[in-house]
Amino acid sequence: MRVSLRWLGDFLELPTTDPGEIARALTGLGLKVESIEHLEARWAAVVTAKVVSAEPHPHADRLRVCRVDMGSEVLEVVCGAWNFEAGATVAFAPPGARLADGTVLEVRRIRGVESNGMICSERELGLSDDHEGILVLPDEIVPGRPLEEVVELPDVVFELEVTANRPDAMSMIGVARELAAYYRIPYRWPEDDYPAIPGAPTTKVEIADPAGCYRFTLREIRNVRVGPSPLWMRRRLQAAGVRPINNVVDVTNYVMIELGHPLHAFDADRLEGDLLVVRRAEDGETLVTLDGVTRRLSAEDVVICDRTGPVSLAGTMGGESTEVGDQTTRVLLEAASWDPPSIMWMSRRHGLRSEASARFERGVDPNLPPRASARAALLIHRLAGGDVLEGLIDEVAVPFAPRRVDLPLSEVERLLGPGFDQGRVVEVLTSLDLEVEGSDPLTVVVPTFRPDLSRPVDLVEEVARLVGYDSFPETLPRGPGGGWNRRQKARRRLVETLAGLGLNQALPLPFVTPEDLQVFDHPADDVIRVTNPLREEESILRPSLLPGLLKSLRRNVARGVSPVGLFEVGRVFIRESSPDDPRIPNQPERLGWALVGSFGPADLAGRSREVDVYTSTGILRVVVHALGGRVALQPDHRPGFHPGRTARVTDPEGQVLGWVGELHPLLVDRYELDGRVAIAELDLDRLLDLPRATTAQPVSALPAGGVRPGFHRSRGAAGFPARRLSGRRRIRPGRGRLRLRRVPGPGHRHPQLGDPPHLEGSRPDPGR
Amino acid sequence: MNPQLAEVVEAAPGKLAAVQSLEELDRVEAELLGRRSVLAQLQKAIGSLPPEERPALGRDLQQARATLVELVETRRRALEREIADRVATADRVDVTLDAFRLPLGSRHLIYQTIEEVCEIFVSLGYVVAEGPEAEIAWYNFDALNTPPTHPARAETDTLYIDFGDPATEPLLRTHTSPMQIRWMEAHRPPVAVVVPGKVYRADTIDASHLPVFHQVEGLMVGEDVRFSDLKGTLAHFARSFFGPQTQVRFRPSFFPFTEPSAELDVSCFACRGGEPGCRVCGGEGWLELLGCGMVDPNVFDAVGYDPKSVTGFAFGMGVERLAMVRHSIDDIRLFVDNDLRFLRQFP
Repeated sequence: MRVSLRWLGDFLELPTTDPGEIARALTGLGLKVESIEHLEARWAAVVTAKVVSAEPHPHADRLRVCRVDMGSEVLEVVCGAWNFEAGATVAFAPPGARLADGTVLEVRRIRGVESNGMICSERELGLSDDHEGILVLPDEIVPGRPLEEVVELPDVVFELEVTANRPDAMSMIGVARELAAYYRIPYRWPEDDYPAIPGAPTTKVEIADPAGCYRFTLREIRNVRVGPSPLWMRRRLQAAGVRPINNVVDVTNYVMIELGHPLHAFDADRLEGDLLVVRRAEDGETLVTLDGVTRRLSAEDVVICDRTGPVSLAGTMGGESTEVGDQTTRVLLEAASWDPPSIMWMSRRHGLRSEASARFERGVDPNLPPRASARAALLIHRLAGGDVLEGLIDEVAVPFAPRRVDLPLSEVERLLGPGFDQGRVVEVLTSLDLEVEGSDPLTVVVPTFRPDLSRPVDLVEEVARLVGYDSFPETLPRGPGGGWNRRQKARRRLVETLAGLGLNQALPLPFVTPEDLQVFDHPADDVIRVTNPLREEESILRPSLLPGLLKSLRRNVARGVSPVGLFEVGRVFIRESSPDDPRIPNQPERLGWALVGSFGPADLAGRSREVDVYTSTGILRVVVHALGGRVALQPDHRPGFHPGRTARVTDPEGQVLGWVGELHPLLVDRYELDGRVAIAELDLDRLLDLPRATTAQPVSALPAGGVRPGFHRSRGAAGFPARRLSGRRRIRPGRGRLRLRRVPGPGHRHPQLGDPPHLEGSRPDPGR
Repeated sequence: MNPQLAEVVEAAPGKLAAVQSLEELDRVEAELLGRRSVLAQLQKAIGSLPPEERPALGRDLQQARATLVELVETRRRALEREIADRVATADRVDVTLDAFRLPLGSRHLIYQTIEEVCEIFVSLGYVVAEGPEAEIAWYNFDALNTPPTHPARAETDTLYIDFGDPATEPLLRTHTSPMQIRWMEAHRPPVAVVVPGKVYRADTIDASHLPVFHQVEGLMVGEDVRFSDLKGTLAHFARSFFGPQTQVRFRPSFFPFTEPSAELDVSCFACRGGEPGCRVCGGEGWLELLGCGMVDPNVFDAVGYDPKSVTGFAFGMGVERLAMVRHSIDDIRLFVDNDLRFLRQFP
């Protein structure tokens, strides 16, 4: 909502003119000022003037020589425009004046005649793009006034963000009412007392869809002369962000901005028959709207129809065939009240968000139509010279009366704290035009322009809003405690460990494509799909973390960023019911990683170890160690994984945690990667729930280095024995003491990346 | 002192100073203290002296020996240090070389931001809870006082999924608020909980929109929770996150699930208030931080709390926005692009 400060002056006298101060007041009221625009005159020293005479130029057919009275003196000027005659009031730039483009006027000779300045067009003044002729001002304007005074400049325009619950604030009068309440000053409604001639519209109205239309008023105005609106109205519409069309359409828009009630003007002579019916459209009906677009209608659309069918999309946009144009002389003025959800869905369905629909979908006051219609009638009478018939057709399908809400005073203090006695609460509520009766509880009569106020708590908000959110103290309550649970702490340890190892946490979008499913041999029907995706890329919820990680690898590699090691902790979506709630899918958290290139500490040349299956088992070993648990590995097959370099990971009870290994060479190709790719995907819950040793083991008094209980490392069987990755290796003191012997260094050094596979898994662990 | 001894002791420092190797030191030591040294000869001669002169010479000998031993050992320690330094110096390398590169990865900035936000509330006695991302309309909308006609439920805003009973309108949660409902269903007041997690919207990807982003939700319910508690808690959060000098502004707003509702703005930390053309706040001086409000009575009704006996406040904030504002990130797509050159900037 764009609010011109000058225009606001029609409704109240603000105690300040400081735009910053007014913006603070509006924002504090909940009408957030998004921006403040300063409109300035783009000219200097241009004044109003009367054309005293306009004579042909002696040496040029297309020019005239005019004598112009600018109050202080009368000057002679050559002019090429013909849209005025002697007596017209114009904008005159005498020598020394500056135009919008920066031109400073001088005395010039034009075809032998001295020209002292210029009669200006709107474009030359920067008021609009109009350069058809010069700007003709209303006759009542006296000569010699600075032009700025006539066109309401300078002005300030506030761009307000109006929340969805405040239809009333989508109008100048509504904003004025809010500011009046804030400053505790009066405000006034604009004039709407029009002179009427006897008669009533011959067109009748039938509301066949009371669910969509609450009320429909129709007024007839005859002998209308359609033409451009006066400058002041065009300027105000422009300031409000509405494009001027003609005086009749402009009045409907002007009243919409002013009072918040959208109106529609039909060319009465272009309507067929003498009955307008409001009904739901039939599937397949069409309507060409004012923007020239052919709309295919559905049974949910609310339309206004004449004998031929739909002529207007209710509350949203009128039809082209009955549009008011230059030839129009008889206008039917509609002011109707619509069901907000119907308008909202209709405008969304048609991708048509108009100024009208933005208001109707919030809920325009259903008792406003007669008043809005009267105001528009007065303005059309003044600007387009129409004769307004006194009869108003007013069909009411659903009557609305002011609502009565009981407000116990205790409710105010329960939410807002102490300090709200009856006097203060009543003062605030009445300042908003609410009527208050009784004492505790107060009975509050809510006018129909505030559909958002229906419960005591809604009135409490009004009190808070008007006393100002800033006026409340700040107190800091404590919760009962709890913090992070054990699982969340373990997950944090996991993430920090992986980052400490050199992997980078990634957050790909949690979707996969049909191609991802296909290369991973995942059944296409065993996924959860988005029914209304914007793109195919976001149509399938991921059943695995790996596609997202692999595509992130690919993007890095394609950009020359390599090596890459990524991991992710996130949910996947399984087509089965959640164990916690059968209505929703199972969405367990998983840990996944994918690495390509080399990984680990690098030497002077930047060389580190190329990744392979042992990168994955090595990372797993550290992760499990960090979490204090134990797992076992077993060679396994798994779609997407390398058939000879993949291990199933199980916990001590034999439950599967997931798989670690390498990406299948075919998929390395499919994801446009090179070399070996180390991958893993593990169930986070099982990983974080691994049983942990919580009792400390005594530390051996024996020297640790070089001496270990004398067990030989066996090389393991050819069939890849189960390998146990241990989080805690223990040496029990005493046992084996008799068999102590020196074993070669490498046999007991700490496990490192690149160690042969038999290093740990195949050695009988002396501790167990 | 015996003149012979005095002469030896006096000459010793000069002799030792000239010594440049441990072998030479051994020779000098033998010369000063060995079997053929002046000391040894006088020691042997002591028996031939008259008894009354023996104690004096004995004392002199003892004293001279101690002095000489100390001088020799001092010189030995110095020599050893010099030699070791010489050897070690020959072993020097260019210490500025990057010859052993230990990797350090990174935690995602969004993850870090979520942790930081939650940590602030954990220190205020909140519990951290997480909930499902695939939800049904009851939790995402109805229980949150969002009527069936509300525009947020449109297919242009919310992503729906093909799981379970279509009548339940299964969907991807559009905010973390459903977990408020689930938490209240499972716990009696008092409640203080923060909920981080992913949320989904039917948005086309551009520099400021993603179909999936993160929120942190908060809820406190009790018998005597007031508007001032909402203000104090969120002002505390804003100052903890953006610094103690941060100014806060609460302004009225509208959400279906809170009444009264508010938006919290914080003073721009970059320009500290209204520098024209500030790259962070655009000159406005304020940054929109989060939406909040007192829990709507209809929400309490939906979870079986008695709105007449409990009150509460709730808030929700966009994590990406917090991170973008604080780190001057102008394209939200960087968060899902997973380019290492971005990720590594925030270890």
